[in-house]
Amino acid sequence: MSTRKDFSRDKSFLIDMTKCTGCRGCQVACKQWNQLEAEQTEFFTGEGYQNPPAMSEYTFTRIKFRDYQKNGQNEFAFYKEMCMHCNEPACASVCPVGAFVKTEEGPVVYKSERCIGCRFCMIACPFNVPKYEWSKAFPLVKKCTGCYSRVKEGFAPACATACPTAITYGPREEMIKEAERRLGQYPDRYIHKVYGKEEAGGTSVIYLTNLPFDELGFKPVTMRALPGYTWDALRLVPGIFLAVGGGLSALSWFTHRRERLKREQAGEMVTESSAPQIEDTDRKEEQ
Amino acid sequence: MSAARIVKEVKGYHAFIKFLIGIVMVGVIAGMVRFIFGLGVTTNLNDTYPWGLWISFDVVTAVPLAAGAFTLGAIVHVFHIKKLEPLVRPAIVTGFLGYSLVCVGLILDLGQPHKGWQVLRPDYWNLHSPMFEVSMCVMAYTTVLFLEFLPPVAEKFGWHVPLRVLRWLEMPLVIAAAAISTLHQSSLGTFFLIAVDKLHNLWYSPLLPLLFWMSAICTGMCIIIIEATASHKYMGQPNEGELLRTLAKILPWALGAYLAVRAYSLIFMGKGPYFDRPGLTFSFMLELGIGFILPFIMFMQKSVRENDRRRNIAALLVIGGLVLNRFNVSMFGMMNEAEVYFPSIIETLVTLGIIAAHILLFVLIAKYFPIFEHHPETVDYTIPDRLHRTGEHKEKKSYKEQPVSQES
Ligand code: SF4
Ligand code: SF4
Ligand code: SF4
Repeated sequence: MSTRKDFSRDKSFLIDMTKCTGCRGCQVACKQWNQLEAEQTEFFTGEGYQNPPAMSEYTFTRIKFRDYQKNGQNEFAFYKEMCMHCNEPACASVCPVGAFVKTEEGPVVYKSERCIGCRFCMIACPFNVPKYEWSKAFPLVKKCTGCYSRVKEGFAPACATACPTAITYGPREEMIKEAERRLGQYPDRYIHKVYGKEEAGGTSVIYLTNLPFDELGFKPVTMRALPGYTWDALRLVPGIFLAVGGGLSALSWFTHRRERLKREQAGEMVTESSAPQIEDTDRKEEQ
Repeated sequence: MSAARIVKEVKGYHAFIKFLIGIVMVGVIAGMVRFIFGLGVTTNLNDTYPWGLWISFDVVTAVPLAAGAFTLGAIVHVFHIKKLEPLVRPAIVTGFLGYSLVCVGLILDLGQPHKGWQVLRPDYWNLHSPMFEVSMCVMAYTTVLFLEFLPPVAEKFGWHVPLRVLRWLEMPLVIAAAAISTLHQSSLGTFFLIAVDKLHNLWYSPLLPLLFWMSAICTGMCIIIIEATASHKYMGQPNEGELLRTLAKILPWALGAYLAVRAYSLIFMGKGPYFDRPGLTFSFMLELGIGFILPFIMFMQKSVRENDRRRNIAALLVIGGLVLNRFNVSMFGMMNEAEVYFPSIIETLVTLGIIAAHILLFVLIAKYFPIFEHHPETVDYTIPDRLHRTGEHKEKKSYKEQPVSQES
């Protein structure tokens, strides 16, 4: 796991949902770039107009639709679902073989050759992002790669490139600054919150919206980086091991000694008479 | 043994054992089906519920159920409550079987079982992962249990030298067992610390690791009580009632401590809402009330501790409480109301097969190896030599076996 503390230069997404038109260009671009299979779906199988019904092994990002009423008019709000590329990712911290890595550039990537398929990452991710290849006999985990192969070469991710309006991509620090500038400049256009600044300890995907976040389907998450929750317990492991091992050793030495002394006082005869016996049998054994 | 003799031997088994063999075979077939067709087709797991019955029962519940070995080992050897020693071997056999089957369960559940060994690759190690810690501990502890399990085997076949080596290793192994067990029993609780905002408030607590460890100890003792009474009743083993009474005296303390920590974690460390989902509230009440508080009160009564039947009931309640607790934490408490997980037929058959395999192997081992006949209070343990005893066991054993083969 990386022990980085400074995430300000990490490449990040600023996704302004008020500017999203629901064209789903990002969804298509993601499928194309990652060469993901099409999914057979039906309309209205999920919570609303969105399609497919959920992120899956074939769908790394998805625009969620949400219709609501404003001044008697029907309106749509959107939410781009994808991996949040957390600063301190829960998925990376729980993986027994270190298959998830937070890269220097920002994206959290998955090394499939390491994965043993325990699916702990799916339990741990606060945004339920990692998905499993349930269709395969020996499945692997699938999730948004942050287009690491592009980012590494200096390109923006496929979805950010395809998006005509809503996605800005750049260093985290600058994205947060830009988000706050927009909030300051158009206070009544937005809910006053930069989602992702603090959520789950800070993420590399940052959202602005005009609808309350929970109504859009954002999950309630803690503001504390998740790895800390388990590390609080795990960091005690060596100490507990030594304490239990050492304590029990000392205790058993003590009780044995006490008993030996007691026995020695009680009857030295017994010990003496049985001692030669062992040597005898030992010798037989060797022969 | 020739094949014909084995067949003859098996034919002579009690109908219950044959029944168990049947269930195990069905389980093995179900396991093969899982490997051929994959997890997605054969289980009800999905992206919402990546962990199901196999993690909840075969791992998270089975590990504490096998905790008797380390608990009793520590009580007997470290605190020198020597009169409990005859119970140690059955507990170790249970533990060894339990952990071996946990490994089987884990392999079945892994999506990439052929890569499971990679946990051991130092360049992949992730010390931040509770899963890493638990898998290392389970492997280490299965080895320890195997070594602890060897003495009766060595006795049976009269291997004198290994027996002496093992005798010499006994104390270090007991201490290693207690230390390793403390770590992974508690780390199973650490698993769910990362499920912030997922595990329901009734169970989410920063003290989960401590609670998992304490309840494992209580359950370990209760399993020993059940096991010893059952083997006395159904397998004609000696009555250990006297010893179980001693064990039952420790239980109210252990259970009391557990309940105190549990109450503390809920009242002072938890956050509400607690009772927003009736199903979970019911499950919580059932677990805590019937599974822990009731047996706690029962074990405080002398009349319960001294009476075989009542003591058994109380012990069964604790075991039930623990099973429900582990399911509450790892399954029910993690569910959302919109989508409910229910194990598939294959998942259920495999788990039933694993349970049956455990009982079956225990019965068979107890039948052929000196597990219960080991009453070391007759042995002078200060001298690392039981060679003259070894012969005795063997004679006694072979004498006992004869009627079985004659029957068939
Ligand atoms: S959102 Fe989930 S999968 Fe993505 S980096 Fe964070 S923890 Fe990992
Ligand atoms: S499923 Fe794979 S990537 Fe996820 S935690 Fe397990 S080993 Fe790591
Ligand atoms: S960053 Fe790449 S992988 Fe992730 S959603 Fe965008 S296009 Fe898909």
